[in-house]
Amino acid sequence: MAVNWAERISAFSRSPSRFLSGTTAEAFLADLANTDRSLILVFDPSQVLLLSPLCESPILLCPSDSVGEETALELMSVFAQCPPKFVDFRCHLLLALTSVLLCSSCMSSCSCASQDFLDLLLEIAQDISDIHGDGSLRSLQATACDCLRELEACCPGILSQRLELLGALRQRETSRLHQAYAGLHTLVLRNAVYQLTQEAGAGAEHLKALLGGNTSFAWEADQDSGLMNKKDSAILSSVILGPVGTVPTLQTGPDCKELRSVLSSLLEESYLLTPLCQAALLHRLTEVVAMVPGVPPAIFRAQLLRLLGTSEVCLLHSILMMKCAFTDSLFSAEDEAFILKRLVVLSQHPLLNTPPKLFYMDCLLHFPENRPINCSDGDETLPVLLTPQLASALVPTVFNDSTTMLTRFNLLCLVYLEEAEEGVGEDGRGLAYLYEHLTSLMHIVEHGGSREIVVTFFRAAFLFLSYFFYVERYSNSLTDKLCELYFHHTQLAPHLINLADQTQDRLSGSTWGVGLLKALQRAITEAPLSQLTVHDLRWHLKMLARVAEEGEIPQQNTLNFLSCIITPSSSSLCVSSGWRLGNSVLGVCRRLLIHPSLDLLLIPLADILQHLTCHYGDTDIQDHARLYYTLLTTLSREKLASVLMQGEIQGGQQVKKQSLSCIMAESEGLTAMLTVHQTERLTHIGAHDFRFDQLFSIHLHFSLMDDHYEELSDISVPCLFRERPPPVVKLHLKPRRPYPTTLCASAIFTTQDGLSWHTNLPDIHVDFQQVFMPLPAPQAWGRASKLCLFEGLWDEMCQESRENDCATSRFCCQLKEAALLALVEKRFLPFLVSDLSTNKELKVLLFLPPQSHVLLKIRSEEDAVHFDIATDNWQLLSHIGSYLLTITSSQEDMQS
Amino acid sequence: MSLRALWIISRENGENVSTFSRRFSTVEHRAKKLAGSAYVAVPEENTVLQLLLTELGLTESDKSYVALRDDCLHCRRSPALELRVDGPGKRTLWPVLAISQGPLILACLPLVDAPPEPRPPLANLLSVSQGLTLLAGLETYLLGSGSKLDSEGLSSRLAMLPSVLLQICPLGTPLDVPPLGAPATPIVPTPAGNQKQPSWKTGLHRGRAMVNVALIETVRSMQYGNQSRQDLWDGVLPNVMVTLTLPPNGSPLQDILVHPCVTSLDSSILTASSVDNCDGSAFSGPYKFPFSPPLETFRLCSYTSQVPVPPILGSYQLKEEENQLHVSVILKLHESVKNSFEYCEAHLPFFNSVVDVRVSAGQLDVSKEKNLLVWSLGQKFPKSREVTMEGKISFFGPTPGPTDPLYSDLTAYVKLHFKVPDMTLSGCCVDQHSVQVYSSAKPRIVTSRELQSKEYFIWNSTGTAPVSSGQMML
Repeated sequence: MAVNWAERISAFSRSPSRFLSGTTAEAFLADLANTDRSLILVFDPSQVLLLSPLCESPILLCPSDSVGEETALELMSVFAQCPPKFVDFRCHLLLALTSVLLCSSCMSSCSCASQDFLDLLLEIAQDISDIHGDGSLRSLQATACDCLRELEACCPGILSQRLELLGALRQRETSRLHQAYAGLHTLVLRNAVYQLTQEAGAGAEHLKALLGGNTSFAWEADQDSGLMNKKDSAILSSVILGPVGTVPTLQTGPDCKELRSVLSSLLEESYLLTPLCQAALLHRLTEVVAMVPGVPPAIFRAQLLRLLGTSEVCLLHSILMMKCAFTDSLFSAEDEAFILKRLVVLSQHPLLNTPPKLFYMDCLLHFPENRPINCSDGDETLPVLLTPQLASALVPTVFNDSTTMLTRFNLLCLVYLEEAEEGVGEDGRGLAYLYEHLTSLMHIVEHGGSREIVVTFFRAAFLFLSYFFYVERYSNSLTDKLCELYFHHTQLAPHLINLADQTQDRLSGSTWGVGLLKALQRAITEAPLSQLTVHDLRWHLKMLARVAEEGEIPQQNTLNFLSCIITPSSSSLCVSSGWRLGNSVLGVCRRLLIHPSLDLLLIPLADILQHLTCHYGDTDIQDHARLYYTLLTTLSREKLASVLMQGEIQGGQQVKKQSLSCIMAESEGLTAMLTVHQTERLTHIGAHDFRFDQLFSIHLHFSLMDDHYEELSDISVPCLFRERPPPVVKLHLKPRRPYPTTLCASAIFTTQDGLSWHTNLPDIHVDFQQVFMPLPAPQAWGRASKLCLFEGLWDEMCQESRENDCATSRFCCQLKEAALLALVEKRFLPFLVSDLSTNKELKVLLFLPPQSHVLLKIRSEEDAVHFDIATDNWQLLSHIGSYLLTITSSQEDMQS
Repeated sequence: MSLRALWIISRENGENVSTFSRRFSTVEHRAKKLAGSAYVAVPEENTVLQLLLTELGLTESDKSYVALRDDCLHCRRSPALELRVDGPGKRTLWPVLAISQGPLILACLPLVDAPPEPRPPLANLLSVSQGLTLLAGLETYLLGSGSKLDSEGLSSRLAMLPSVLLQICPLGTPLDVPPLGAPATPIVPTPAGNQKQPSWKTGLHRGRAMVNVALIETVRSMQYGNQSRQDLWDGVLPNVMVTLTLPPNGSPLQDILVHPCVTSLDSSILTASSVDNCDGSAFSGPYKFPFSPPLETFRLCSYTSQVPVPPILGSYQLKEEENQLHVSVILKLHESVKNSFEYCEAHLPFFNSVVDVRVSAGQLDVSKEKNLLVWSLGQKFPKSREVTMEGKISFFGPTPGPTDPLYSDLTAYVKLHFKVPDMTLSGCCVDQHSVQVYSSAKPRIVTSRELQSKEYFIWNSTGTAPVSSGQMML
C-alpha cells in the first residue's frame, strides 16, 4: 500500500495531466481522503507526502468551489482527529487546507470552511498552553502563522482588523517564533495601509484606528465586501517600481506617532530575523513608509550601514529597493556613489558565487539613480557614476565562466560605447581591450575549445558587433579573422551562418553579415582545390548555399567552384561521393535557381545540373538534378522563383537548415507546386472559396465528342478576379458537317498561392441553328440577285433525277398570320431573301458551312402554314424538321 | 517575495533527471492574478527539465550546433533564465533562477510582484535575491561544503527535503536556508526574560564555551614574466573574528563583507575598496566586529587586500630547440614570507611528452594520466630562498590526447599550490587577548592564521598568455 502510494504520488507530481488521464480527479481525491483517515489510526509519519498533491495541484483535484469546500471540511475533520504528537502531519494538513481554500476561491468567497479555518489558525497562533512543552506546538504555531500570511497575501486585507492582536503576539513572543509573527504583522500592516490609500478621505485618524484595532469607523464596516472580491490585483504588486511607477499615498500629516512606533519596534528587532525574513520585512516596511509621507525615510538610517556591509544578497537587495523608493530623501549623492562602488565590488568579490555576482551586475545596469537622466523602463542603462575607471574592475577574462564573461563583456561594451560616443577615450583603449579579449577567445576556439567556449565566443562576437559594427577597423579585422578561423575549423559553419543571419536581422544599417559571407565565399572559392577534403567540402557547400541566398553577392565564383568539384578532371571528390554530398551541391544549385542574377548564371548552372544528371554517382541526385535542370530550362523566371520560394516558405527554416532532409522536404514542396490540383468545379462563380478569388493564367481546353467540327485550339485568359467583370471568350467553331454537337471544356489555372489547378467546365452545347449563316453573297448584291439565286438553287435541288444529296420536304403547322410573321422575323430575318412585307411567300436561304444550304418557302394556306424545304444535303432534313417543330410549337404556345 | 516552483535535477549515469520538484499552488494563484493576460503557467516537470537543459546548453551534447541552444542572439547575461515554453519567439517563463553545482542543478521560479509589461528589472523583484539565497542554501545543504561528493548523504538529505521545506519555505515563501550539519536540533525553550532569541539561532549551545578565530588568507597571482603585463595578486580572508589589527604600515583591508550576525558596523570599515583609487589616508584599523554567534561555524567577515609583492616570484621560460622544448623555471620566496610551509607544489601540465628535467631542490613526480609534472618543494625553500628547474621536453608525435585549449603552442603555465601556517600576507592578525566576550561563561579563546594559494599562475614569458586584466589598461 505504502509503496503503491509513493509511486502514485510521484507519478502525479511528474505529470498531473497524464496521471489524471488514467483516473479521475474525484476518485484520486476520495482515495487520498480515505487513506489520510486510516493513516491516523496506523500512523506512518513518512506519509505526509500523501498531502502533496493537494498542496501542489489543488485546482486539478478540486476543480469547483463545492469540491474545494468539501475537501477542506474533510481535511479539517482529519486535523481534529489527529493526535497532537504528529506535528509534521498536522503542519502539512494546515498547508493543504490553505492551498485548497485559496486556490478553489472558497477563501475569497468567505465560505463556511474558510471562516472555520481562519478561526482555527488564529486559535493556534494565540495558544499559550505549551509554553514550556517540547516545542511541538511552536512548530504548529509557526506553520499557522505561515498559513495566515499566505491567506493575507492572496486575499489582502483579510486580517486587517486583527492588526493589534498580531502586534501583541509579536511583542510577547521571545522564542524564534517571533519571526513568524513579525512577518505576518508587517504584511497585514502593509496591506492595511495600502487599502487606506485607496479610501477617499482616509487620514491620520483612520491609520490610528487601524493600528488600535478599533473597528468603529464606518469605512471598516463594508470592508469585507469591498475588498475580499476585489478584482484589482494592484494590491498584490510591489509599490516600489522605480521611476515608472507611482506610489499610492496616504496623507496623514506629520502626526502618525503610532505607526512610527510600530515601525521602530519592527526595525529594532529586524536584526534578530533570518536574512530572508529580514529582507522581506524591510521591503514591506519600505513600502509602508513610501505610502505614508508623514513618516520620514530616515527611520531606516540606523540599519543602513549594517545592511551595506552584508555578505547576504537579499539584504543588500533591500537597500537597493529603499534606494529606489526614497532616492535622495534617504541617500545623499555621496551615499549613492558609495552604493554603486559597493555594487561593483560585490559584482566581482572573490567570496561570492556566480549567481549573486550576475545579479549585482544586472542591478548595476538598472541602478536606481537619485536623478536618472532618462527614465527608460526596463532597458539596460549605465549609471552616470559608473566610470570606465570603476568598471575596469569588471573587465572580462578568459578564466570567467561563460555567463559571467558575457555579462561583463556586455557591461564593458556599454561603458566604452558611451566613451566612444562622447569622443572621450580617443585612443580607444577600452575598445581595443574588448577586441583583444574577443581575439583571445577566438584563439582558444582555434585550439579546440569546448563547445561551450565556441558558443560563448560567437555570442561575444555578436555582442561586440551589435555595439561596434560601425567601427570598421575592428569589424573588418573580425571578418578576416573569422574567415581564417573557418578555414581551420570548417565545422564552425553553422555558427558563422547564425552570426551572419543574426547580424543581418538585428543590426539595421549594418552590412557586416553580407560582408562576412562575401569574404567566406572568396576564401572558399579561391583556396586551392588540391587541399580540399570531403569533410571541409560538406561545410563549404553549406556555407555557399547560405551565400547564394544573398542577392547582392555575385555567384559566378560559386558556380566555378561547383563546376570544378564535380568535374573528375579537377577533383576526385564528387566521383566517389554519395547522396549527402550530392544533396549539398544541389542545395547550392537550388538557391542559385532563385538568385536575382540568374540570367547571368543560366548557362553555367545548366551545365552543372546537366553534368550531375549524366555523371553523378547517385541515381536520386541524378533525378533531382534533372528536375532542377528541367525547371531551369522550361519554367519562366517568375514561375521558377515562385515555385522554389514557395517551397522555402512552406518548408521554412527546416529545409534551409537540415541538409540531409533538404531534398526530401523540397521534393514535397515542389510536387505541390508542380502538381495540377484537381477541383470538382470551378468555384470562382459558385460557393465562396477565397483561394479562387483571383485566378491567373487560365487555360481553357475544349474537346469534341464527334468529328463534325474541326479541332479547337486552347484559349488563354490572363486573369479572372472575382471583383472585376469577367472577360468574354468567343469560340470560333469550324464545322466539317453542320450538325449540332456538344463540346467538353476544361480549365487549368493558377491561384495566388502559386498552386496550379485543373477543373472540368460544364459541357457546351452547339445547337443546329447556331450553324446558320446568311448567304455569303457579295456585298453589292441586291435583293433581286439573291432572289434569283434562290430560285435557281431551288430548281436545282428539286430536280430529283440528279444523282446528288438533294432532297425536298414539307413541314406544316397551324399558325396565324401574325404569328407566322413574328416567327420569321425572330428566327429567320437575317436569312430572308424575299421581302417580309410582300406577305405572299417568304423565302429563306440558310447557308450551313462548309457547303450546305437549306431553302425554305413559307406560305399560309387555308388550313395550315406550309414550310417547303429544299436542301442539297438530305441529312439535314431531320435537323431542320425538328428545329421547325421546336420553333413553331413554342410560337403556338405563345399564341394560345 | 515568493517562489512559484522549485526543481532539483541530478545527473545520473550521464543523464539529467528531475529528482525533486515542488509547486507552490497559492503563489501560482497570486502569479495568475498579478500577470493577468500575460500569465504563463508552469509546464509539467519533464517539459521544464528539457527547457531548462536547453537554456543551460546541456541538451544534445553530441551535436556541435543546435539552433535552439546555440543561437548567438540568445545570450544569457543575468542569473535569470527565460524558458521558451512555446518554442522560440513565443511565450516565456521568466525569471527562472538556476544554480549548477557538482551533480545537481537547482532551479526556482520567483514570483514577479510587478506589472509584467514591460518586463521589470530584476532589481525590482525581491523574490529574485530571495530565490538565489534559498538555492545557495539548498546547494550547501545537499552537497555539503566539502569538495568530495557524498552520494549516500545526498540521497538521504534529498529524502529529508519535504520536511526541511516545511520549515524553511512553507507555501513558497523562503524564510531561512536549511540548517547545516546535523538535522535541526529541536527548538529548546528559551529561559524566561525579555531578550528575544535570534531566529537564525536554532537553539542554545550546550557544553563548554569557546571562541575559535581562524584567519585564512588566500592569495591569487598572475605572473607573466613580461614587462608589458603587470603582475597581479590579491588576497581573500574568510573566517575572522572580533578585532583585526594591521601592522603600522599595512595597507587597508578592502571590500569587507560581514555575516548578518554582526550587529553594527563603523562606516570607516567599509570605505576602502579595491575598485577605487587607493587613498593613503584611508582607515587602517583596528577593525571591530561586534556580533552574536550562531551555533554553527560561520564566516564572520571577508576582505581583500592589495599586497605590494607576491609571496613567491616566479619565472617560467620555454624555448623551442629542434623538436624539443628547453624549460627553465625559477621560484623565489619573498623575504617577508615565513619559510615554513605545510606544503608547496608546482604543477606543470604537459601533453604527450617525455620530460627530462633536473631540479635544484625538492622532488619530481610525473603523472602520466594527468599529463602533469608535479614539483614538490616540501616544507622549506633552501637558504637562498630560490629554487630552479632546468631541462628538456620532447613530444612524441601528434597523437591526439587530452588537450587544454588554453595550453597550446608556447602558451603554458606553472601553477603553484602552497599553504603557510601562522602567517598572513596582509599582516592582518587577531590578538587572542583582544577578543572580548560578554558572557558569564569564560570561554577558551584560540586564534590561528594561515596563507593559502588560489589561482596562482606563472605564465611562460616567451609565449602568449591568454589572459589580461583591466587594471593594465588604465
